[in-house]
Amino acid sequence: MSKSQLELLVLYQDVDVMLKEAEEESQKLGFSTKGIDQLKEAVVELSAKIEKKYLRAYERISKRYKHSIAPVKNNTCLGCFAKLPTSYLAQGRSDEKIMTCENCGRILYWID
Amino acid sequence: MNSEELSQFFSPECFISDLKSTTKNDILSEMVQPLIEMNKIRNEHVLLETLLKRETLGSTGIGKGIAIPHCRTLAISQICVVIGISKSGVDFDSIDKKKVNLFFLIVAPPQEKTNQYLPLLGKIVELVRDNNVRKNLLKTKNFTEFMEIIQG
Repeated sequence: MSKSQLELLVLYQDVDVMLKEAEEESQKLGFSTKGIDQLKEAVVELSAKIEKKYLRAYERISKRYKHSIAPVKNNTCLGCFAKLPTSYLAQGRSDEKIMTCENCGRILYWID
Repeated sequence: MNSEELSQFFSPECFISDLKSTTKNDILSEMVQPLIEMNKIRNEHVLLETLLKRETLGSTGIGKGIAIPHCRTLAISQICVVIGISKSGVDFDSIDKKKVNLFFLIVAPPQEKTNQYLPLLGKIVELVRDNNVRKNLLKTKNFTEFMEIIQG
């Protein structure tokens, strides 16, 4: 089954976080990170599958915040803790639609 | 992190005493099953893909029969640990090329208020580097025995 654009963005952020922590994992915990170049290539391949408008939005948000995608729980954006409009709920739970927080602009990902 | 704090991450529901899988991909799939059954995962595919991407960075098979597959992912909302034992051992591309018998799967969200992920990972690495503890853990047959060793 092909992944939705939101799933690809989530994966993109997961790998982004992984690359940022790679040095700490290697130096403090002794894990091998010899595949770092291979992983960076995988990120490029992954980004090619994401529509440019979404990738641009992700990169734009990442300049302001550590994480561009915020989890949503109890209809609250856990990036800025703003309550989201009730109308978001039905659409947001689907992985097919990409929605952003009206308050902070982060991409939203429902986790409950 | 002390033994008591570490113990809170383990539960009998997330302890697999007899892993059936024989490949890296299948082991990871089998180990996330308890989390699926407990409704801890938002998206199984994203979690598995992130775990595999982490293996691309470098195998989490740290040698001497132990592997600690781990990742941060938005596909989960709280830190979870699953323990798995493979009696026959699984080729996990470990640094010493030896088969892995004991797995610690650790998954965490990208942001946690309590910031426990890296300390937890570090504590488990420290624990299994102790020869006696590792040898005893590798002999573990059930959750009770496992916890007795962890709690020292």
